[in-house]
Amino acid sequence: MKMKKVLAPVLGLSLLFPSMASAADNAPAVKTPAADLRAGLDHLLSEHFALSVIEMEKRYEGAQDADAAKKALDQNAADMKPAIASIYGADAAQQFNDIFAPHNDYTDDYVKAVKAKDMDAKKEAEMKIDRFAKDFGMFLGKATGGKLPEDAAVKAVQAHEDDVQKAFDSYAAGDYKQSNQAFRDGFHRMFDISKALSTAIVSQSPDKFENSKADTAAADLRSTLNSLTSEHFALAAMSMQKGVDGAKDYDFVNWAEDQHTADFTAAIKGIYGAEGASQFEKVWQGDHINAQGDLVSATLEKDENAMNEAKDRLTSQFATDFGNFLAAATENNLPTKDAMGAVKMHEDQVIQTFEQYVNDDYDMSYQTFREGFKFTFGIGETLGGAIVKQMPDKFAGQGMPDMPKTGMGGSEASTDTLVWVSIGALAAAGLSLILRKRLSRQQ
Amino acid sequence: MKNGSTILLIAATCMMLGIFTHFNMDKRNETIANANPSLVKETEKQNQKENKTAKESQKLSEFKVLDNKLRKAVEIIKKEHMEAGIIPAKLMIPKINVKANIERVGVLENGQMGVPSNIENTGWFEPGTKPGAQGNAVIDGHVDSKTGPAVFFDLKDLKPGDEILLSDQKGKTITFIVKKLKSYPNDKAPLKEIFGPASTRNLNLITCTGVFNHTKGTHEERLVVYTELKEKTAHSPKKQQNAKRPISPDHVSVEGTFVSWHAVRDKDIVGYRVYKGKKNKPFKHVASISAYERKTYTDQEAEKYSYYVTSITKQGMESKPSSIIHPEKQP
Repeated sequence: MKMKKVLAPVLGLSLLFPSMASAADNAPAVKTPAADLRAGLDHLLSEHFALSVIEMEKRYEGAQDADAAKKALDQNAADMKPAIASIYGADAAQQFNDIFAPHNDYTDDYVKAVKAKDMDAKKEAEMKIDRFAKDFGMFLGKATGGKLPEDAAVKAVQAHEDDVQKAFDSYAAGDYKQSNQAFRDGFHRMFDISKALSTAIVSQSPDKFENSKADTAAADLRSTLNSLTSEHFALAAMSMQKGVDGAKDYDFVNWAEDQHTADFTAAIKGIYGAEGASQFEKVWQGDHINAQGDLVSATLEKDENAMNEAKDRLTSQFATDFGNFLAAATENNLPTKDAMGAVKMHEDQVIQTFEQYVNDDYDMSYQTFREGFKFTFGIGETLGGAIVKQMPDKFAGQGMPDMPKTGMGGSEASTDTLVWVSIGALAAAGLSLILRKRLSRQQ
Repeated sequence: MKNGSTILLIAATCMMLGIFTHFNMDKRNETIANANPSLVKETEKQNQKENKTAKESQKLSEFKVLDNKLRKAVEIIKKEHMEAGIIPAKLMIPKINVKANIERVGVLENGQMGVPSNIENTGWFEPGTKPGAQGNAVIDGHVDSKTGPAVFFDLKDLKPGDEILLSDQKGKTITFIVKKLKSYPNDKAPLKEIFGPASTRNLNLITCTGVFNHTKGTHEERLVVYTELKEKTAHSPKKQQNAKRPISPDHVSVEGTFVSWHAVRDKDIVGYRVYKGKKNKPFKHVASISAYERKTYTDQEAEKYSYYVTSITKQGMESKPSSIIHPEKQP
């Protein structure tokens, strides 16, 4: 089907992509080499964060799928290596791997130490994590030739490690609300880091990216949609597992899901207004979030009919309703059939991840999780592309050529300076921008 | 959930059967009967009698309990509640010289509570609570006939502290103490207070009172005598513990079409009741969510109403309402 091609996630093993747009095409686009780089980092970094927290919680609980979660986390790290190689070559990629890959073991050690109440082991794990943040920050600073300053990079990595630790520590302490808040904050931060990092890489070697930029309004939109759809997938998978396990924090993951719905609704409001947002919310909750909950309950009740009914609501009713909504909202820039197909595919992945988990097929469940997570980035690209095509004016400006040099040096606010300001604000201060804010900036 | 309409109860207990408000409950969860575990069980029995499938009657149970241990506990408690009561055969009220037989009455087709077949007898509402069990048992009787007074003519003369005696076929007798008398206009009776769940063991007597309205063919008001079981033994500590109210749910919020809250972390909780209200109108029980389900009630117009949620233990004890959430007042 054509659909699959359109939505096939662009994130292969390389983060460098040939441009599809001709050089003369100045229309704003979500798909540029720079935006692709950013989306690739969005994906790998946010997946790393989600799997880290999941793995730590599973390990702490002594869950049967803890090893499968660790495997998935390690696979994510392994996928980063060729991505780095595509930009900086094999040697740098190896260096990256030597620093990055072991740090997934440090967090694992940390959990074991907390569980065993072994303060010395905990301290040692903390020190290793801290060392990693410094080493990795320095690596990034060097690799980007200082475009991402070492200081800022170290601070960004440290902030990320703090997020992971906070999510886990509050989980272990039974403060599930704080844990889920930390999960959401930490997940979003990965997209901020991705923006800063991709912008730095692009400004380091603009030619490699055909002079496209990673921080255009269109690229911001794509990244925002990436964040919203992938967070939804992660929360859905987590919520359904917690539900079927009767976990104490089931309601709190659902709380996070509802907060996420509010963010997504706000994002839609930013693009399509209050009425569109309200329509979105109704479709999103009714035969979707609610149906997921019903599937979990029906599974617990061992009620086959109710299970099938819930699955049908997800893959048929919701896919139809949401597909129609997206097609109508984008004035068919995202055609109904494609939209429905993508939503159905996503729901199939959500259900499959859940069912494999319920059937104790953990390796497969995490594999499906990884595929399903990745798939959402294709949705971000396709939907973002449709929106930008629908309202090019809203996303214009940065796709334009640079201003001609008509003065003699009086104008200092070059694009590069703006990029620097952006990196400084994001990475150094460790600001976690709320999605709402991002969206309003795009307006 | 099917929109089966359960028409329910209220008493028209006069000789002239009057038009009395009945409640047409649209959802299984909206019936006040469902709020009472023993009532639920009785309703299930009735459904089976009516040849409904076991599946359908099962659906009427308010909360599903998945944990085997907990489920057994709930069943034992339900059974205890059932056994605690008697099937009443005779009623005696020494103060007003009443000695009457008790018939079993149900729900009439028009939704009213049934009445005894003659003016000497009284009627026990059989689908409801058994007298002596936890909850509200209800007995009605006529106040008069076209020609003169009937069994409950002097009911209005009772005072708090007076005794009501009920005995079953075997002669087992239990005593209730009058707590208060209240008259209500026909259509204003607080059904929940009279028929609904309660933490105490009550018996409520109903008859007509007020002026007879010839146009409507009924008395203008209904008299309810509220009584409570006279406990022979002082409250045993165990019983008191059983009757402890659970903690109310917190974090009640409305996001879009979702009303959500957080679970009460107490292993005795079997589920939650969601109540919905609007300005100047009483809150109504709109949904029951079992403990293991997503703590969400979906309402397409959630932002137009106010909500609160309660938690329910396996003993059937309901918590105090959570704080009321007013989505229309949210920023």
